[in-house]
Amino acid sequence: MVQNNWALGGVILAMALTIGVGVYGGRRSKTTPDFLVASRTIKPHANAAAIAGEYLSAASFLGVAGLVFTKGATGLWYPIGYAGGYLMLLLFVAAPLRRSGAYTVPDFAEARLGSVGLRRLCTAVVVLLGWWYLVPQFQGAGLTLATFTGVPPWLGGLAVAITVTINVVGGGMRAITLVQAFQYYLKLFALAFPAFLLFFVFLNDDRAEYRSLSEPLPPAFARETTIDVKTAVRLQVSQAVSLRAKGTIDGAPVDGGAFWATGTVKSVDKGTKLIFPAGAPVPSVTTAAADNASWLRPMSGGWPQAMEIWSLMFATFFGTMGLPHVLVRFYTNPDGSSARTTTLYVLVLVGGFYLFSLIFAGLSRLYVPELLVTGQDNAAVLLLPTAMLNNWFGQLLAALTAAGAFAAFLSTSSGLVVSVAGVLSTDVLPGRVRDFRLATIFASTVPIVCALLFPNLGAAQAVGLALCLAASTFCPLLILGIWYRRLTPFGATMGILTGGGVVLGSTAYVLLTTSTSGWVNSLVAQPGMISVPLSFLAMWFFSKLTPRSVPRDVAQVMLRMHAPDRLGFTKDRDVQRFGNQSQPPVDVSKRTSTTLSGWANRRQRK
Amino acid sequence: MSSTERPVSGGAPDQEVWATMQASPEFGDLRRRLRRFVFPMTVLFLGWYLLYVILADYAHGFMSIKVVGNINVGLVLGLLQFVSTFLITTLYVRHANKNLDPLAEDLRRRVEKEDA
Repeated sequence: MVQNNWALGGVILAMALTIGVGVYGGRRSKTTPDFLVASRTIKPHANAAAIAGEYLSAASFLGVAGLVFTKGATGLWYPIGYAGGYLMLLLFVAAPLRRSGAYTVPDFAEARLGSVGLRRLCTAVVVLLGWWYLVPQFQGAGLTLATFTGVPPWLGGLAVAITVTINVVGGGMRAITLVQAFQYYLKLFALAFPAFLLFFVFLNDDRAEYRSLSEPLPPAFARETTIDVKTAVRLQVSQAVSLRAKGTIDGAPVDGGAFWATGTVKSVDKGTKLIFPAGAPVPSVTTAAADNASWLRPMSGGWPQAMEIWSLMFATFFGTMGLPHVLVRFYTNPDGSSARTTTLYVLVLVGGFYLFSLIFAGLSRLYVPELLVTGQDNAAVLLLPTAMLNNWFGQLLAALTAAGAFAAFLSTSSGLVVSVAGVLSTDVLPGRVRDFRLATIFASTVPIVCALLFPNLGAAQAVGLALCLAASTFCPLLILGIWYRRLTPFGATMGILTGGGVVLGSTAYVLLTTSTSGWVNSLVAQPGMISVPLSFLAMWFFSKLTPRSVPRDVAQVMLRMHAPDRLGFTKDRDVQRFGNQSQPPVDVSKRTSTTLSGWANRRQRK
Repeated sequence: MSSTERPVSGGAPDQEVWATMQASPEFGDLRRRLRRFVFPMTVLFLGWYLLYVILADYAHGFMSIKVVGNINVGLVLGLLQFVSTFLITTLYVRHANKNLDPLAEDLRRRVEKEDA
C-alpha cells in the first residue's frame, strides 16, 4: 500500500466531474427515448468516444497493461481480440440490427421470431450478463482505492455504485453519452501523459541494475525490496537467488536467510515477508513469463496454450457483439452510415489507447518487478509512476492514473446499468421514465451486494467469462437471426440454453475444483471454443426439427433488415413503443393510423 | 423514377410492395454485393489471426528475429493485427458508402413511391 493523498484527490475529482457532466448533459432528458437511446441524435465522433469510453473498462485500463506485464507478447491477445470483436459486430450485425428497429436483444428476439418466451429468456441473459460484468468493476474500484488510501476495499465499490446510480437516474442515456465521451478522453489523458513522461524518464536512466528486456534472464530488483505476501503464491525461480524471509515457505516455517535454487518452485504462504537484496533476480508467479526473452515472444506453451488462445479469440471476437451496453450504443446514431463511421472511430480510439498500455507494461517489467512476486499485476499502472519518480511529481502522475482508473470503472458501469435498467424497465415494468429510474436503482444494487458478499471473485476471469457467455448466447442469436431464414423460436431458445449452460457449467467447475493444468482444464477455464460452436449447432439443429414454427412473416422481416435504411420502420417502432412524445404530431397521425404493417405491431395484434 | 421526386412520407410500405421488392433483381444485387465483401473478408481476417497463433507456437525462431533493438518479428506481427483490423474496417466503410448505399437509396425511393 502506498499512502498517496494526491491519488485520493484525483479519484474524488474524477467522480465529481462525472456527476457534473452528467447533470449538464442530462438536463434536457425528459422522454423515454431520451433516456434509452438519446433520441438517436448523437454524432459519430461523440458516439465513438462514448463507445470507446464505455468499452475501455477496468479490464482494459488496468488489466491489459497488467497482462502484458506478466505474460508478455502473449497478453497482446486480449487487446487484439477486443478490437477484432468490433469488426465482427460491424460486418455482421450493426446495420441490419439498427434497421430492425429493435432497441435491445430481447426486442430483436421477439420482433424476429415472435416468441414472448424467447424474449423473456433474452431479458434474463441481458440482466445476468450486465451483473456479471458489473461485479468486477465495483471490485476493481475498491481495490484501487485501497491501494492508495488504506480504506477498506468495499468503500470504493460502493462509491462507484452510488455515483453511477445518481447519474443514470438523473439523465439516462443522453447524460451518459456525454459522460462516456468525456471519460474516454480523461482515460486517454490519464494513460498517455504519464506514459510519455515515464518513457522519457526511462530514456535518461542508465543504471546497470535494469536488465535489458531481451536478455534470457528474469528482471532484477533495482534496490533492496521488502514484499509482504498478502495472498498465497507459487513462485518459479528461473535464476538462483539469496534472500531473507520470515513466514512459511513450502509448508515449513522460515526466519532468516534462504537460498532458492534455479528451476525450483516455491509455495509462499499468506503473511510471509520476503526481503530481496538490490540486484537480485526476480522469481515470478507461475502464470507469468519468467525471463525477459520469453516475455518478448508470443507464447510457447504448446497445445494447451494454443487452445486457450483460440478459445479466448472466440470469446472476444464473438462476445463483443453480444454485450448489451455495446449494442445499444449503435442505436444512438441517426442512421446506418453514421453507425459505420462510428465503428471506424471506435477502432482508432481503442487501438490508440492500448498502445499506451504496452508502454506501461514494458516499463513495469523494469521498475515494479515486485508485482511479479505478489501476482498483483493489475496494480502495475497505479504503482509505476511513484516507483519511477519518488517525489511529488510521481505522486501527481499516480493520482492521474488513479483518476483514469476510476473513470474506467464509472463509465463501464454506467453503460451497463443503463442497459440492464433499460431492459428491466421496458420488459418487466411499464416503461415510463419513473420505471426506468426505479429499475436503475435495482440494476446497481444487486451487483454491489454481490461484490460485497464475494470479494474474492477473480476480476479478469469474470470479464472473460462474461464475454464468453455473450458469445455463446447472443452472438448466435444475432448472426443466425439476421442471416438464417429458417431459424425458429424453439431452435433459438435451445441454442441459448446450450451455450449458456456450457459456460455456466464450466464456471461452476472452475470455482469448485483446484487443479489448473492440462488442456482439459484450460478448455474448461476458457470454454469459448466449445460453447460458441455448440450454441450455433444447437440453434441450427433444433430449428431443423421444428420447421413449421418458422415465423410466417420471415421473408418480410429479413427484407426489412437487409433493405435500405429509413423505410419508415424505425419511426414506426418508436411511435408504437413510446407514443407520440418524440415525434412531430403530424407524422404520428399518419403512421399510426392505418398503414402499420408486419412485425412492428405484431404484439398489438396478439 | 426521376431524381427530382421526393420520397413520399406515407406509412410503412404494405406487404405486396415488400414481396415484389424482395423478388427484384436490385435487391438480390444489393445482398450479393454485401455478401461478396463480408464473407471473404471474414475468412481472410480469421485466417490471419490463426496464422499468428500458429506461428507463435511453432515458429519460435522466426518470431524471435530482431527487427530493431528489442522489437522482434512476433511483436511486429502482433501490432500488425491491430493495423489489419483497422484496415478491414476502413475498406468496409468505403465499400458500403460507395457500392451499397447508392443502390439501397434507389431501392428505398422505389418502395416508398410504389407504396404511395
